[in-house]
Order: sequence, then C-alpha cells, then structure tokens
Amino acid sequence: MSDPIAALARELGEICTVHAPLPLEGAQLEATLRPRSEAECVAALAALARAKLGALITGSGTKLAAANAPCRARVRLDTTALRETPEIDLDEGVARFGAGMTLAEVEAQLAGSIWRLPLDAPGESSTLGGALASAALGPRFGHPRDNLLGLRIALANGTVVKTGGRVVKNVTGYDLGKLFVGSNGLLGVITSAWLRLRPSPERTETLIAPAPADAQLALSAARAFSARTAALVDAALAARLCSALRAPRALAIELAGDEAAVEADRAALVAKLGAQPAPDDTVAILRETQAGAGIRFRVAVLPSELHALCGLLGAAGARTLAFPARGIAHAFFAGASDASVFAVLLAGVADAARRTGGAWTLEAAPLGLRSGREVLGELDGSIALQRAVKRAYDPAGVLNPGRGLGEI
Amino acid sequence: MTALLAELREILGADGVLARAEELFVYEADGLTHHSARPSAVTLPREASEVQRVVRACRKHGVPFVARGAGTGLSGGAVACHGGVVIECARMNRILRVDAENRIAVVQPGVVNADLSKAIAKHGLFYAPDPSSQQSCTLGGNVAENSGGPHTLKYGTTTNHVLALELVLADGALVRLGNPAGLASGFDLVGAVVGSEGTLGVVTEITLLLMPLPERVETLLGIFPDVVSACRAVSAIIRSGLVPSALEIVDQRTIRAVEASVYAAGMPTDAGAILIAELDGPNAAVAVQALRASAHCREAGAREVAVARDAAERQRFWRARKGAFGAMGRLAPDLYVHDAVVPRAKLPEILERVCAIGDAHRLRLSNVFHAGDGNLHPNISFDRRDADELARVIEAGEEILRVCVEAGGVISGEHGIGLEKREYMPLVFSEADLAAQLALRDAFDPEHVCNPGKIFPTTRFCTESNPKARGYDRVAFD
Repeated sequence: MSDPIAALARELGEICTVHAPLPLEGAQLEATLRPRSEAECVAALAALARAKLGALITGSGTKLAAANAPCRARVRLDTTALRETPEIDLDEGVARFGAGMTLAEVEAQLAGSIWRLPLDAPGESSTLGGALASAALGPRFGHPRDNLLGLRIALANGTVVKTGGRVVKNVTGYDLGKLFVGSNGLLGVITSAWLRLRPSPERTETLIAPAPADAQLALSAARAFSARTAALVDAALAARLCSALRAPRALAIELAGDEAAVEADRAALVAKLGAQPAPDDTVAILRETQAGAGIRFRVAVLPSELHALCGLLGAAGARTLAFPARGIAHAFFAGASDASVFAVLLAGVADAARRTGGAWTLEAAPLGLRSGREVLGELDGSIALQRAVKRAYDPAGVLNPGRGLGEI
Repeated sequence: MTALLAELREILGADGVLARAEELFVYEADGLTHHSARPSAVTLPREASEVQRVVRACRKHGVPFVARGAGTGLSGGAVACHGGVVIECARMNRILRVDAENRIAVVQPGVVNADLSKAIAKHGLFYAPDPSSQQSCTLGGNVAENSGGPHTLKYGTTTNHVLALELVLADGALVRLGNPAGLASGFDLVGAVVGSEGTLGVVTEITLLLMPLPERVETLLGIFPDVVSACRAVSAIIRSGLVPSALEIVDQRTIRAVEASVYAAGMPTDAGAILIAELDGPNAAVAVQALRASAHCREAGAREVAVARDAAERQRFWRARKGAFGAMGRLAPDLYVHDAVVPRAKLPEILERVCAIGDAHRLRLSNVFHAGDGNLHPNISFDRRDADELARVIEAGEEILRVCVEAGGVISGEHGIGLEKREYMPLVFSEADLAAQLALRDAFDPEHVCNPGKIFPTTRFCTESNPKARGYDRVAFD
C-alpha cells in the first residue's frame, strides 16, 4: 500500500512540505500544507478528504490550546499564506481581506482612513481567519458575527463557496457565515471575509475607579453610552494600571465616541465613582491579560449573575478578569501540574457556570491536561444536531478531527 | 388526509384544526399575493409539546408543514405547498418573561413585534428590529425571515438580537439552541436558524436581546431636487463616520402618491426626493450629530432641511415614508413590494435603471428605500387579474434583480427568498454555494418536510444529492 503522505506531496507539489514528525496538539504531524490561494486551499482539502487524512488547521497558532485533545490529524494545514489583495471601500466602510493576514496587518491597511477593524482577538499575531474561526473576543468589540458580511470558504468536498456578500444587509439564502464563525475550523477553512468596518471615534478616554461594592452600580457604569471597554480587574492588575489605586477590585473603562458623549460619561464616572485617568495602553494590557499564560477558562452569564460567578470562581482558586456589560468572566489558574488537579479546577468552573446559568469553555491549558477530557463546555440536547452539521460538511472527518465539542 | 385530520383534532381539539375551504382560503397566500396554494389544514397549537405532536403526525402521514405567524411576509415563505399543513402560531402569543436588568425577553413565536416594545417601554427598553409590518407581524416570523426595518442601519437585523431558541425539529424532537448569555458551546446554530425561512424547524420560544431606549431622538427631513443629491447626502453622512439609526429616501413618484392619499404628510410634490435621517443616543451627542447631518444634506444640494420639533412633527415626517405602501396600494388592487440590495455608492445609477425598467414595462413603479443600507424597495402597483400586467410585473422584477446583482448586490435585503425568488438564487450563488446551503438543510431536515419548496431553485441539483429527501422541493406548484 502506498504511503498516503507521499501521495499527498506528489499531488499537491510545492505547497506540501513533508517533514519529520512534528508533535502538536497530541498529533504527530508528518507534513505541512501551506496554500497561497483559495484554489490551492481547496485542492489541499479535496486531496485530504480523498485520502481520509486528518488535518490540524492553524492560523498563527494563538488559540491552539482552546480545543479538545488529542487531535487525530496527520497533516497541518497552515492558512497564513492566504493573503489575497484586499478590497477596501472607504465610502461604504466595508472591506475584504484574506484569512491569513494578521489583525495588525489589516489595521495597517486601514490606517489614515476613518475606519477601524471591529475585531480585537487577544494574541499578538492573530490572523483574521483565526479570529473569525475561533470567534475570539477581545476587551473592546462585540462578537465577530455581528460585523461579518460575507465569507469565502474552502470545503472538504473540494468546492469553494461563498456566503453573504459585501452589502450590509442581506437575507439571500441561509446565513452560513454565522455557522462558520466560531466553528474552529471543524466545518471548512475560511479563505477570506467581507467585514463591516466601524468609524474611529472622535475621542477616547481611559479611566479607572475602585469597583463599587454594589454590582448594579458597576453594571450601570459599564453600560455608559460611550463605554467601549469595561473590565473588572483584580488588585494586581489595578495596581499595574494605576499605582495610586489601592482597591481589591477596580473598574477600568474606555470611553469612545463623540466628543460630547465621551465628556458627559467621563464627568459622570468621575463624580459617581471617583474615576481617574488610566494609561493609554489599558486596553492593550487587558488584551494581553486575556491571552496570559497558564490555564484559562471563559464563562458567559447574564450580567446580573456575574458578581456571583466571580465569587464562585474566586472560591475555586481563580483570578478573574470580568466584563460586566457582557457578562463574561475569564478565570485564570496558576500552574496545575497534574491532571487530577486540573480535573478539580475544571469541575469547579463547570459548577460555577451551572450554578449561575452560564456557559463555560476552556481558553487554554497545557496539552497533557486537556487530553482525553471534554474541555469545551457542556454537551446539551443539541449535540446530535451539532454532529449532523459536522457530518454534512466534513463527512470524512478530516478537519481538526477530535478537537470540537463532544469530540466532533 | 382524513386520518391525519383526525389525529390533528385529537391533539388540538376540534377548535384547534381548521379544514373547511372557507377557513383555509385566508391561508392561501401571505403578503405576496401572486403566489398561492391552499393548505390541507391549519393547526392552532398553544405550546411546544403540541407542535411536536403535530409535526410527528404530519411526518407519519408524509405531509409537509409550514409554520406561519401573521402572514405578512412578502416572499411567499409562509405558503403551504403540496397540500401541506399550516402550523399557525396565533395562540402561542405570550411574552413569557421580561428580565429588565439583563435586557432580555423570552417570548412565544406568535407575539406581535410592536407588542413587545410596548410591553417593555416601562422598563426603558425597546426591541430594535422594526419591519414596516411591526403592528401585526410576529416575532416568530421575524426570526424565520431575519426581518429588518428602517432602524437596522444602527441596530442590526433580527439575527443580532436573538440569543437563544427553542425549536421543534422535522422529526418532532425539541431542542434548545444558544444561551441567554449569548456564548453557547459548539456551532452557532441559532445564527444558522435565524433567516432560514422556516425550513429548519418550527421555533416555539425565542430569547431576545433588548436595547435601552435612547435619551434623545432627532429626526431630520431633507428636501432634495433629485434622488441623486439625496443619495449623495447619505454617502457623505456615512463617510463622515456618523451612524444614524435610519436613513430613508422617498422618491418623487412616491411623494406624489402619498400626498394624493389619506396619508398626506404635507411634503412638497415638486421635490425630487426626500431624505429622513434619524439620529439617537445620549442628549449630549445627538444634537451635535443632527447639525452635522444637516450640514451634509445642505452640501449635497438639499433645498431645505428641517428638524422635527416634537413627536407630532416626527410622526409627520415618518408618515411620508410609512404611508408609501398604503398610498401605492390604493392605486391598484395589488402592490408588489420588491426588495434588493446594492452597494450604497451605486444607488443613484441603479435607481435610474430601476425606474427605466418600470417605464419600459408600462408599470406604476416608485421607490422608497433604506438608503443607508443600500436596500431598495421598488413598489409596483398592479392588478393580478390582468394576466398581461402580472407578467410584466414579474419580468420587470427579474430585470431589477439582475441589475442589482451585476452591481455587486444581492436579491433580498429583508423579505427573504421564499417562493418569490427561489429561481433567481443562481444569479447570486453557484451550484456549490447552494449545495453548501442544502447541506445545512439536510442536517436539520433530511426528508425536506419542513416548509419545502422555499429558498432553493427547483432545478435538477437541488435534492438529488440527498436520497432521503422526498422531493417536495422539486415539484413546482401554484
């Protein structure tokens, strides 16, 4: 029987590099595919599907540890060379970029215009494709789905398909874009995306205040009209952002918008909470914290439950960084070295989520701790449907095999 | 069919099933009157468990079904084909829970859109998507169609406001999708179901995101010599970074029709177009934004710009926009409200071509549109009993879609595909694109018993890839 990796290399030519086994995410990867166009990408997927060879799909690799393990792949498919020429419509405030561009590169393309990319996935080198596929949330912007207009996607059946388009309002056919954003490369490979851009604000102000004891007061401050970022930080992070602030918890807020709206909100925060200026790089520090080393979970709850959630996570031994207006808490645990300790942490997070009606997921943990256990949340009644959707798009199971919820 | 009817009556009681011809007559069409088909029965369940039993009974008898809200849809999406059964949501009309602190509401699908905003106003909240039919259309229908409205420019369409769904699948199973907190594990199946036109299941409960009522609203009325200068003002406003909640243009033909009707709003009939721009937000910001928007209108050539001084004047401005359908409707027995989207910068050129197409087909065509979104609504008044005129309406409709697609646009911005535009899907999508959409349908409803005949063209490839499909999608009817 011929070696399927050698056959893949013969078929795909220079985009396929065969190498010594590379251990990644529990897989021993024998080759790396690096398509430079959507045509090469879809040819690679078709060849993988025919050979029934599993592939680990990667962008810059910043979210690799947010998945189930081990991955049953033999090949890596690297999307960073999917960098077609951008199309930017400055009149309309919409643009299309290749999936392999980093968010920083996309922002550089928009420099000098009034438009900004409304994505801020944590991780220095996040690619656009990775940020969309992982639906990673940074401190500043809402869910990537809300600014997505259209996608081009390479599917395992050897076709490239489009969904949505470049216009800002569209109900022409199923909204597959929503399905693929956050699908973590389990259904197809995003090759490029049309996005709605957002105007850059006239003024921004970053403030920090001791967190009010009354959770409702914190929530209403976080919901200030021009608040673009609002984070509850712990004492250590508060001290880093403002050395003069001595508080067990602090509320860091970035206001952005019209001059008058920002000024009104700033004055109110100063008067009500005693807010003081925070450094300009506050949001960058929050984003860096979100991507910190060690074990990280994310739990989403209704805003009214956030205070209770943070209490439960704290009791389970976590440091937390929370976003009150969105009802999201990140829980950080310093080095659990063995699997049994990790199991206790995970159970603690899952229990905290359950008791507050939330949804949890792991954001990062060393491979050895993740292996062989569900780390992506609760399997609920929709799991049969989730599996049917996976089968519909990837019947041969070649895309990130084993990495999805319920080992999808 | 008799056996199915008996079973349905057993599930819902005699008054929960309509099957006499005169009862079924009103269910033959929705707001798009020239596509019609009579259902074999209409069912009126009160809760999800009854919907499950109705679905299972239909499936057992091999009869397709379609959920229906108020029947205000404009693409034939709620029409039952192949003697199908209608699952009418009128009795599932309760607002189950309002959680003001968390800004969410849990509703049954038959709740009328405007009723939700009325019920939550006391909490300082509103539900943002506001289709023109909001006084009668239901939230379940809005979910099916991913409905928009004038204020989606700032707030987004239905999909941006649905957090979780309860859905009865084609096999009768009940699933909960999504999470009220908004970040459920696994694939975003809520996002996939919203806008699927009832083809993936029957929604029985919806968790919606509510918005805080703005502190202040400013409504501007710009009077322009022509549509081109009104469009130029819209582009200038968007390019400047302002995000108005609405930017609506009404053309001269519509102004004249409105002014000649009971909806008359005192608009100048010699104006080439009017632009209604609405800005909302905090007190501190909105007045300044309104001034900036006014300046853009003047620079673009507005001969007059007025700011509504009070709620009554705001309503008068909006009457010129919202009265358009009624005013055009009185010109003839039928009104075809077309729907397509183009990149905003192309609006002036496309509108000119749209009017030319109407003229060439000797039709009474006028335009009101969501200019900020590039979403056109050419309105055609006609009489469907006049076969020749109906044929011209359909020909013109197709030509308009082709022009919009050539300009980089799409064939529906908010009305959906339904029956109306299924054959035009290949204008926008390749076979592979459509196959990828059908793959989703197959995952949810492999036998295609759930609202068949909608969205997908009736050409060869539609169902052949799926041996389980019963082929309802393929059969033409009318």
